[in-house]
Amino acid sequence: MLTTVATLAALALAQQTDTTVPVRAGARLEVNNFGGEIAVKTWSKSAVRVTASHSSRDRITVDASDQVVRVKSESRRGPSQLVDYEITVPAAMALALTGVYTDISVEGSEGEITAETVQGTVKVSGGSGNVSLKSVQGDVTLEKARGRIDLSSVNETIKASQISGDISAETVNGDITLVQIESGNTEATTVNGDVMYDGTMKEGGRYRFSTHDGDLRVSIPEKSNVSVSVSTFNGDFSACFPVQLVGKTKHRFSFTIGSGSGRLELESFNGDIRLCRPGQLAKDKDWRAKNKDWDKDKDHDNDQEEE
Amino acid sequence: MSDTWTNRLSEYLDGDLPATERPALEAHLQGCGDCRTTLAQLRRVVARAQALDDRPPTADLWPAIARHVGVVSLDARRARRRLSFTVPQLAAAAVALALLSGGSAWLMLRRSPVSPASRPTTTRSPILTNVGTYEANPRYAAAVASLERVLAHGRSRLDTATVRVIEKNLGIIDRAIRDAQSALAADPANSYLNLHLAQEMRRKLELLRQAAALAGTRT
Amino acid sequence: MELTTPGVATLRRDLDQTARDAETADVALAASGDGRAFERLYRTHVARIHSLARRMTGEEHADDLTQDVFVRAWSKLSTFRAEAAFGTWLHRLAVNVILARRTTLGTERSRYDDSENVLDGVASRPHTAELSLDFEAALERLPDGARQVFVLHDIEGYRHEEIADLLGIVPGTSKSQLHHARMALRQHLE
Repeated sequence: MLTTVATLAALALAQQTDTTVPVRAGARLEVNNFGGEIAVKTWSKSAVRVTASHSSRDRITVDASDQVVRVKSESRRGPSQLVDYEITVPAAMALALTGVYTDISVEGSEGEITAETVQGTVKVSGGSGNVSLKSVQGDVTLEKARGRIDLSSVNETIKASQISGDISAETVNGDITLVQIESGNTEATTVNGDVMYDGTMKEGGRYRFSTHDGDLRVSIPEKSNVSVSVSTFNGDFSACFPVQLVGKTKHRFSFTIGSGSGRLELESFNGDIRLCRPGQLAKDKDWRAKNKDWDKDKDHDNDQEEE
Repeated sequence: MSDTWTNRLSEYLDGDLPATERPALEAHLQGCGDCRTTLAQLRRVVARAQALDDRPPTADLWPAIARHVGVVSLDARRARRRLSFTVPQLAAAAVALALLSGGSAWLMLRRSPVSPASRPTTTRSPILTNVGTYEANPRYAAAVASLERVLAHGRSRLDTATVRVIEKNLGIIDRAIRDAQSALAADPANSYLNLHLAQEMRRKLELLRQAAALAGTRT
Repeated sequence: MELTTPGVATLRRDLDQTARDAETADVALAASGDGRAFERLYRTHVARIHSLARRMTGEEHADDLTQDVFVRAWSKLSTFRAEAAFGTWLHRLAVNVILARRTTLGTERSRYDDSENVLDGVASRPHTAELSLDFEAALERLPDGARQVFVLHDIEGYRHEEIADLLGIVPGTSKSQLHHARMALRQHLE
């Protein structure tokens, strides 16, 4: 008797939807999930498969037209409860994924991606063209993407690796780590956090890294041609290789490497700026000695942090 | 058929007819069916004019305007990238959030410190005139204040965790703003400090705007 | 996680206020060079500005004028005072831009045609309902002066004294032009 009731209760809470719809090339996917998860994977079929775990009060609707496949949940009574989606799409399909209390993940995409959440993480592997990932309270992680990349968090970190293209990364209270980057145009700024860039410095490229309270660690490949300008109010500048400083003050100066065709701007109000060669930053002993807890996560959920 | 009074009907309709002439016109109207008809027609024309709907141009004119408006910084260039999604549903969903805690003052929003004491004593560096006025700009202060009002209004629409995050990060930015302002007080012509202050103030406005969008719904 | 929704009436009032406040922020951002914020302002106001341009000068020039208005607004944003409503400021700027351009747009029609029959030359027969022009199309066919006065007074709500200033005429002319426009448009109400 008890077992039956328990089983029925379990069924009432955990329902599964599984729908597959055919799609044309050029259609995009739009998913809005207020709370829960959106996990997107890819396959080679010209179809979109939506599987979802949700409460029995919610009904999942998949609305497909030539241009767009819209996935959302509707509740029979009151607002929707949590839904966990797992959606499989053609690799080239453009994705527009949004939620509030939602974690978003994408794997294997070769199309444009927009993913926005408030309280949740965004973790994407893939993407090409316009890739825009945003969270307020949640890490944003991207790898293996190419195109015009826009990454934004407020209270957490941004990590990007194996990216090729123009990059813009912005957070307030978090570190930004960009590694294995091939870019002619990158900007990364945070207020309370470190910035690390390990990537190319191309001819005529423009790079800008800035923080208020944190360190900048930037790699400059050998034989680069870049004009560097450094501004810091309360921090030190150092480099793993010899540089000839030209400038007026201890805190603002510039120097040229090679022909100086690229432009690198480094700004840290209250932190150190360190330049090294690619691959050396993580191993940089001097720097690590000064920053002993660099590999510990900043405690972001702790409300007792002093401000 | 028109008579001397017909030409005064619009004035009469708009209440522009001198008081001395009104009784005579009204007396005439009583006896002139044509004039009464004309007056009614004029009323309908005015009503029709006031009921006209605005419609946008058939072509999107923004790209041409954007070209004129021009681009100087990466920030602006980033703004030019077409984001395919403006998250209207996200904001609408945020509106449906429950009141999770009652009571005490919600956001202890620290106002942008524009007090005379912290204002840079000398003026801007010549290249950065915008930045120099930015901080003392009443428009900036007004925008911050109005957004803070929006957030105070909308407190019931954001859960406490999100509120905490936003509040904390506004505090982080405020601290950065204060740091930059103190530094500027000692070195007002420093272009890095000017730009840095402007960047942090802009960041604050962006975060407030983002929070306001979460707390309400943009039409 | 149980969720509840606030009352609809509260929402609607607060949304209007939110929209106004968000616009104030956008103006501040745009004034500091944020193109994205300016685009939001454009999207909000373009319908009104374009309609004004279209009614004042015709369909042909409306697109160009609208672009001119927004380009001018971008450069003049620093002069906008936060106390006024942005829409009002933008509208007045648009009227100025449009009127400044009217002399260069070169229409053949006489500007201040006193004749009541100004629309008779056009296809519609005044007393045949099915051939009567769409109201806005009829508006476009008025002579410039009468049309501009009508648009500014009856559609946009300016007073005769203001219109006289804007157009460089005396209030008496404004009143008589308005009357002629209304009389001519009588036949073209749907």
